[in-house]
Amino acid sequence: MRFYDNPPVLAEEQALFVHDLVDYSLGNIDPTKFKAIRVAHGVYEQRQDHTYMIRIRCAAGGLTPEQLRKAAELAEAYGGGEVHFTTRQEIQVHNVTIENLMTVIEGLRSVGLSTRGGGGNTIRNILTPSHSGIRPGDVFDVDPYAMALTTRLIHEPDSWNLPRKFKIAFSTAPDDVSFTQATCLGFVAKMNGDQKGFEVYCSGGMGAKPMVGHLLLAWIPDTEVYAVTRAIKTMFDKHGNRRNRNQNRIKFLWKKIGEEEFKQLFHDEYALVQGKDPLVLPELNNEAQATDLPIETVTGQDFENWKNRYVMAQSQPGLSSILIPLKLGDIYKHHADILCDFLDHFGPNTMRCERAQNIRLRNIPDAYLGNAYRMIQQLDTLSEQPAFIGRMMNCTGAQTCKLGICLPRGLSKAIQKRLIVSDLDFDAIADFRLNMSGCPNTCGMHHIAQLGFFGKVGRKDGDLYPAYNVLAGAKVAAGQTEYAQRVTDIAAHAIPEFVYQFLRDYIAKKDQYATYNAYLDSEGFDLIKALCDQYRDVPAYADDASFYTDFGAKKRLSLEQLGTAECSAGMFDMIDVDQKNMKQIIKALPDTAEPADALKTLLFHTSRMLLVTRGLDPKTDTEVFKLFEKHFVQTELVDKQYSAVVLLGLGSSDALVPHADAVVELANAVMALYKGMDDSLKFKLDDAAGSGHTAQHVTQDFRGVACPMNFVKTKLALEALKSGDSLDVLLDDGEPIENVPNSVQQEGHTIVKKEKVENHWQVTIRKA
Amino acid sequence: MTFSDAQVERYSRHIILSDVGGDGQQKLLSSRVLIIGAGGLGSPIALYLAAAGVGHLGIVDADRVDLSNLQRQIAHYTADVGRLKTESAQEKINAMNPDVSVTLYHERFEAHNAFALMQGYDFVIDGTDSFESKFLINDACVMAKQAFSHGGILRFDGQTFTYAPGHACYRCIFDDLPPKNAVPTCSQAGVLGSIAGMLGTIQATEAIKYLLGVGTGLTDRILSFNAKQMQFRTISVSRNSACKVCSQSPTITKLVNYEAPVCDLKSRGGAA
Ligand code: SF4
Ligand SMILES: [Zn+2]
Repeated sequence: MRFYDNPPVLAEEQALFVHDLVDYSLGNIDPTKFKAIRVAHGVYEQRQDHTYMIRIRCAAGGLTPEQLRKAAELAEAYGGGEVHFTTRQEIQVHNVTIENLMTVIEGLRSVGLSTRGGGGNTIRNILTPSHSGIRPGDVFDVDPYAMALTTRLIHEPDSWNLPRKFKIAFSTAPDDVSFTQATCLGFVAKMNGDQKGFEVYCSGGMGAKPMVGHLLLAWIPDTEVYAVTRAIKTMFDKHGNRRNRNQNRIKFLWKKIGEEEFKQLFHDEYALVQGKDPLVLPELNNEAQATDLPIETVTGQDFENWKNRYVMAQSQPGLSSILIPLKLGDIYKHHADILCDFLDHFGPNTMRCERAQNIRLRNIPDAYLGNAYRMIQQLDTLSEQPAFIGRMMNCTGAQTCKLGICLPRGLSKAIQKRLIVSDLDFDAIADFRLNMSGCPNTCGMHHIAQLGFFGKVGRKDGDLYPAYNVLAGAKVAAGQTEYAQRVTDIAAHAIPEFVYQFLRDYIAKKDQYATYNAYLDSEGFDLIKALCDQYRDVPAYADDASFYTDFGAKKRLSLEQLGTAECSAGMFDMIDVDQKNMKQIIKALPDTAEPADALKTLLFHTSRMLLVTRGLDPKTDTEVFKLFEKHFVQTELVDKQYSAVVLLGLGSSDALVPHADAVVELANAVMALYKGMDDSLKFKLDDAAGSGHTAQHVTQDFRGVACPMNFVKTKLALEALKSGDSLDVLLDDGEPIENVPNSVQQEGHTIVKKEKVENHWQVTIRKA
Repeated sequence: MTFSDAQVERYSRHIILSDVGGDGQQKLLSSRVLIIGAGGLGSPIALYLAAAGVGHLGIVDADRVDLSNLQRQIAHYTADVGRLKTESAQEKINAMNPDVSVTLYHERFEAHNAFALMQGYDFVIDGTDSFESKFLINDACVMAKQAFSHGGILRFDGQTFTYAPGHACYRCIFDDLPPKNAVPTCSQAGVLGSIAGMLGTIQATEAIKYLLGVGTGLTDRILSFNAKQMQFRTISVSRNSACKVCSQSPTITKLVNYEAPVCDLKSRGGAA
């Protein structure tokens, strides 16, 4: 059993990746380019150079025992040992060196797991509540939708090249445990009479500029999940801000153009796909598999406590679901083997990754709870602790993540250590969300925390110390989500005591208030401020150095440690590299005694800089000049007079010396061009050049032309037009109208209209 | 850009490809490729390039078709034995695709005519079987800043890479001719006929990609395969700063004919 199917090209793409890996290790690919390649394969470089983290897709959090066993085997043989469960219901293998990357990736593929799209500008892991399909009272099981949608989207080549990452979540009920309003596109299960369907939210997101998602559609039938997703995806692809990566999530588009226009754009796209290609749902059975495992009976208070805390009766009578609270989201091979051996008795559909970095088991017959308890006791987990402790969430932070400022794993451990020795009744706050991230990026989901922290740098007399912003008060429910607000900040080392003091007060007063937020409003916020003020005075480094070294860090915090952004590297990084070189050369040029080579290099960077915006990937130096001449000079994006100068690049550098001024002028012209580039990668001059060109509208009659000739001819007709022009084609009913518009769309053009006229069709296409 | 109806149909599977399209097909139709050797490699190269609609092909070969060639040189048929290879190949090309014009050179590719032969071509393909020719083609192309595809086959093995100006050349990798008779040619050692097709079609593909500016070529990489084990591998290579011909201070600055091994008389300078 697999929870998603990989496209057949995966093996091929991974084979290409092997070549790139080899090339990179031989120094033939520069690191920026390699980054873009590897991130798309779910491979992130860790803090320590040349060690990598691999992120593995688990649609709807689904993982079979066979898959976990394999991942753990690989983690032990080639990684840091642990399989790490993330806040996005995936798993990761850490500390893999470059020569072992492929072994791990291919090993994972052998059990149907893919790392493709683990990072990069693509559809990320699709989330559902870990109890989907089994929790009493839920509207219906959303797992089949998330799984089918995953399979569908990862088969679509255009999913791999979106303007930026794209996140989708499903919830089973209005309590919205998947936080659909904190995600790009969210579906909340909702019935309409006896018809299954969804409420749809869009444009939410956390990160450094959090936004709460908006209601996009009050209800759609469940057959429309794909069409809605497709429409949003196309819209994002077309209108996303590809230039400014930081402004490039669908949430920013909503903000930029406003609700009305956003919905208009959406409905335009949706109209084209509505009612089409509904998902083919996998059959997911939540039932007990017969087993001959002898039943173990366990009694006693510990067992009862554990059942109260971690066992949930499923809506399927006689079956139980068990939460295994992992320590920091990690499980090691010998423990994974014990777990998987146990699960093998109950079938492949027995496990989900849970959002608080835990494992949720399902479909365990009640009779076997004793066995399960004994089995879990052999694992190193937090199952003896109150559920609140195991639900604390944190990202991996600076340990593996290059963006991280602080080490939330260390902090989480320190908080646990402080709380475990206390006498507070944590079972009273079993569902409390205490979340922490190592930086503003919210991988630890501090925005939806009831008490949250995200890393920052503190400074005392010029010395840096690890610190956190403190947030509180998020509300989560479909349609009513509010993010936590930032209250103040605090030194990392003061947090364990702070958390203890704060929770002590809240637990004591909890019963006096209707909700946690009522408590916060009346006195909780004040208490947070007052407590943090108490800890404000950080001792000087000379007096107490411990404050300056993060929990779990080996060295004191320093600026050098704070790495640079590890993001899906894009085109802009590449452009910036050229631009930086150009500026340096221009600056040094007056003092360069023999400028021939410098001029050649300058001309090279000038020519290469913007090729990427046209999707051109020159293979040779010669091609750089030729392509630039063709696509920028001949098209008059830069003055045609430069043609001769550019072509001098093909010969010896000495020839450039007499034309030094022209080379510099050209470099400046290209940089100016880049400045004027807009979000959709158009240059200001494109319009100017286009102004002499009024959009054309051409009609072609391809009736009686069979497939694929009709598409061939349509394509040729489009090639003759300019971007923005329209083409009307007349097509026959049947195969032609089913195929041609799709193929045209796949080439990036827009189908404006499809209209049946008597026995044929008229299709209006706008050229991309 | 105008295609006749027949052309639209003939090239439709190219036009549909998003990396080719009508523009790309036009590019191919206006491209010129020189194929050196009309033998085992040259046959599939010429036929596939002609089929693809590469508008102009030049073919260099001085030999006549021999019965022993037919085991692998698929442009030549039994009735062609004794004819000039160039003419035999031209006839097949014309029959296949009237869009392609062909220029024939019944001569060996040698130091004295190398530059003249290459003049005006966008891409050169080495389909010869002797080391002398291979080094000569390399040196000439490096000096003329001319991209070319190198190819060689022997027994069950094939090897190819693509040179582009500024990148590693044949000499960066192999430096100089092997000592006389250290390495046999296929007339001495034999060759499995079908691998000529395997390698030739790879070279043809590299040429088409180069002309279109599509994908990643075998520049700075050598692809080699062993058909017996059916194993392919690519090895990255880089420029050699001491290369005799392409380095900053080359020791080879003009073309000379290299000496052929004494024993290989029959197909000297001929084609694999
Ligand atoms: S929140 Fe920041 S530190 Fe934590 S994993 Fe995300 S990017 Fe890294
Ligand atoms: Zn060289």
